[in-house]
Amino acid sequence: MGESNGYGQFARVVLALNGGPTDQLVVGAATKFAGRAKTDVVAVHVIEVDWTHDLGDVVPGSQQRASEVLDRAEAQAERVGVSLKTTLLQARDVGAAIVDEAAAIGADLIVAGLPYRTKFGGEFAMGRVVPYVLQNAPMAVVVVRTAIPAETADGSERRAVARD
Amino acid sequence: MPRPQAEYFRYAGPGIVRAKPKASAPTTGVGRAYERLRRTLIGTPLATEQEVEERLSKKKALAIMSSDAISSSAYASEEILNILVLAGVAALSLTLPIAIAISALLAVVAISYRQIGYAYPSGGGAYAVGSANLPKIFALIAAAALLIDYVMTVAVSTSSAVEQMYSAFPPLYPLRVEVSVAAVALILLGNMRGLRESGNIFALPTYIYIGSALFVVGSGLLKAFAFHDVAATGYHAANVPTPPGGFETLTILLVLRAFAGGSVALTGTEAIANGVPAFQKPEPQNAARTLVAMAALLAIIFVGVTAVAVSYGILPGGKESVPALVAHAAVGTGPMFYVFQASAALILILASNTSFNAFPRLAAILAQDHYFPHAFAFRGDRLAFSTGILVLALMACVLLVAFDADTAALIPLYSVGVFVSFTISQTGMVRHWWNTRGRGWTTRLGTNAVGAILTGIVALVVASVKFTAGAWMVVVLVPIIVATMLFIHREYAREAEELEVREDLVFGQPHRPQRVVVPVPGITRAVIRAIAFGRTLSQDVRAIYVTDDIEEGERLRERFARQLPGIPLVIVESPYRQLIGPLVTYLDVMEPDPDAITIVVVPEYIVRHWWERVLHNRTAERLRRALIGRSNTVVALVPYRKEHAPTR
Repeated sequence: MGESNGYGQFARVVLALNGGPTDQLVVGAATKFAGRAKTDVVAVHVIEVDWTHDLGDVVPGSQQRASEVLDRAEAQAERVGVSLKTTLLQARDVGAAIVDEAAAIGADLIVAGLPYRTKFGGEFAMGRVVPYVLQNAPMAVVVVRTAIPAETADGSERRAVARD
Repeated sequence: MPRPQAEYFRYAGPGIVRAKPKASAPTTGVGRAYERLRRTLIGTPLATEQEVEERLSKKKALAIMSSDAISSSAYASEEILNILVLAGVAALSLTLPIAIAISALLAVVAISYRQIGYAYPSGGGAYAVGSANLPKIFALIAAAALLIDYVMTVAVSTSSAVEQMYSAFPPLYPLRVEVSVAAVALILLGNMRGLRESGNIFALPTYIYIGSALFVVGSGLLKAFAFHDVAATGYHAANVPTPPGGFETLTILLVLRAFAGGSVALTGTEAIANGVPAFQKPEPQNAARTLVAMAALLAIIFVGVTAVAVSYGILPGGKESVPALVAHAAVGTGPMFYVFQASAALILILASNTSFNAFPRLAAILAQDHYFPHAFAFRGDRLAFSTGILVLALMACVLLVAFDADTAALIPLYSVGVFVSFTISQTGMVRHWWNTRGRGWTTRLGTNAVGAILTGIVALVVASVKFTAGAWMVVVLVPIIVATMLFIHREYAREAEELEVREDLVFGQPHRPQRVVVPVPGITRAVIRAIAFGRTLSQDVRAIYVTDDIEEGERLRERFARQLPGIPLVIVESPYRQLIGPLVTYLDVMEPDPDAITIVVVPEYIVRHWWERVLHNRTAERLRRALIGRSNTVVALVPYRKEHAPTR
C-alpha cells in the first residue's frame, strides 16, 4: 500500500498519457502519489485506430511515436526514483481503453491530463476522453490540467489526447 | 501491444535510443554470476548523468581529499625533532619557529592552489598550470612526480598504519605484508564503489581524528600555559641524549634539513586543486573553501602538537611516538588518549584515500591529453576512474611486497615528487600572473614567487638528503615516466594523423574491385553459408582448399563443380601439412592484385558449449590472426551455429 502523502493511499496508479504537454504534469503528480512507497505506477498510452483500419493493423510510425511517449514518462519517473511500468494499447476509443485497462489491472487511481482551451466565445472545452474517464471509471480519478496555446487549439481534442 | 525493445532500449529523441542496463546484461550463467559478485562488491552501475549527484559536498570532500594532508600532522612534528635533536638543546629551541615557518609555507601553497582551483577548474593542479604556462615538459615532470608520490603515499601510509597495528598487537608482525595488501584492497573496493560512497565510508574516521587532535592540542596548551602545569618545563640540556657520534653543529643546512623533514606536512595539499571537478557546484568556490578549511586545520593541529611537544620537552626516539607522548601529556591515559591514538592509526590508512582520489583523476587528465593510455580516462560502472584506481592499488601492493611493508625503507622515496610539483605549479602561476596582469597581480605574483623559491629549496634539500637512501629511484623514475608519456603521445598523434579525414572531402560509392576468397575444409553447411555470403559481396568468388592429399582435392573439385557451379576451387598442395602459411603466401604471391580488395570469407563453426572448443582446432581464429593487418584485405568470419542445423 502506498504511504500517506496527503492525497490518500493508492496501491496501483494508472497514468493516462496522451503525448501532449500534460504528460509531464501527469507523471509529476503520479510520482508524488507514489512517493517512496511500493505503489505500482503504470503508464498507459493508447493508439487510437480509426474505422479505416483493422484494430490489429500497425499504423505506420505510430508504434515508435507511442514508444517515445512512454519512454519519456519512464525516464521522468526514473529521475525522481520511481519505477514505472508501461503499457501500450491500440483501441477505437481512448477513454474506454484507459478505463478498461485500469479496471483490468486493479488500479485504484487514474491520473489523466487535460489540455484544455477556451473556445471562441468563452466556452470551456475538455474534449471527450477525460469526461468519459470521469463518468465511467470505477476508481478515483485525478485530472491535471494545463492550458494549450490558442494556435494549437484547432477544435480537435483527439489530437491532443491521442496523437496517433 | 508488445514493445519488445522497451526492456533494452528507450527512445531518447529523434534518431536516438538509449541503452538500458539489460542491454549490457550478461547472457551466460558464468557472466551472470560474475555480475552478481561485482554488484555485491562495488554496487549497481550509475548512469553518466548521475555524476552530478555523485559529486562531493564540502564536508565529504574535506574527509576524502584531505586525509593525506591532515594525517601528516600526526608525524610532521616528529620529523623536525628527529633532525634538531642531533644538534642539542639550542637547536631544539628552533622547533616551534620551524613549524610556524612550515605553516607559513603551507599558507603560501594553499593560497596558490586556491588560485589554481579558480584559474583551472577542470582539475589537474600542477599539471594543468604547467601545461598552460610553461613548456610542456615541466607539466609532464610535475605529473610524473605526483603520480610517483601518490603511489608512495598509499604504500607509506598503509605500512605505517599497519605498523601502529602490530605495535599494539605484536602477533600481527609476521603478517604485516598480507595485512597491508588487504588494507589497500579494502580502500580499493571503497573507491570502486564511487566518490559519494567512499566519502561516506571515510568521513567519520577523519572527523574523529580532527576532533580528538584539536581536543588534545587544546587541553595540552591550556594545561601548559593557562594552568602552568609543572611538567611543562620545555627542553633542558640534561634531558637531551647525546647522539652516538656526538652533537652536530647547528648550521643552516641542519635547519634546512629540519625544515624539509617537517615539510612532509604539506603532502596532499595539491589533491583538492587536482580534483575540483569532483565538487558540487559551484566547484571552484567549494574547492577553495575546503582547501582553506584543510590548510587551517592542518596548520592548527601541526603547530599545536609541536607547541605542546616543545612545552613538555618531548623528544623522539623512544618507544612511543611524539604524537602519543603529546596526547599523554595533554589528556593523560584516559579514553581520549585511546580515541586519539586509534583515530591517528585510522587516518593514516585513510591518507591513502587521497591518493586513490587524486591519482586516477590526474591519470584521466593525462589520458585525455593523450599522454596516458585512453583506458585511464574511462569511467567504470560507478563513475570512478577504475583503471587508475586498479593500477594505483597494484603498484602500491608491489611496493609493499617488495619493501616488506617496512615504512623506514619506503619513506626516503616519499615527498620528493610532491615538492617538485609544488615548485612547477608555483612557477607556472608566476608566469600566469605575469601574462594576465589583472587586479592585484603583483601581490599574487610575489606570493607565488616566494612559494616557488621555498618549495624549490625544499625539493632540492629533500632530494639530496634522501638521495642515497632511495630518493635516487624517484630521480631515475621521473625521466622514465616522462619519456613513456612522450612516446604514448607521439603514438596517438601518429594514429590520429593516419585516421584523420579532411572536412572538405565528400565520399562517393566505392570504386575498387572486390574479390572474395573462401578457404574451405571441404563442403559443409558452414562453407555453403560462407560462399553464399561471399556471392553477395562480389561476382569474383573462389574457394581455396589447402591439403597434403591431392587425390582428395580432386574429389572435392569434382563435388564443387557439381554442387557449387560457378565457384572455382583452387587446390594448394601442402606436402608439409601446413595450412595457414601456404594459404596466406598463396594470396600474397600467386594472386597479387594491388588494385583489388581481397575479402577473405572464413566459415566458422560455433560450438554450443565451452568444452566443445577442445574438439576443434579453431582454424578460423588462427586464419583471422594471420590475415589481420594484411594490406587491402578484409577478413569476414561467417559463423555457423550448431542450433542452425536443420533436423533431418
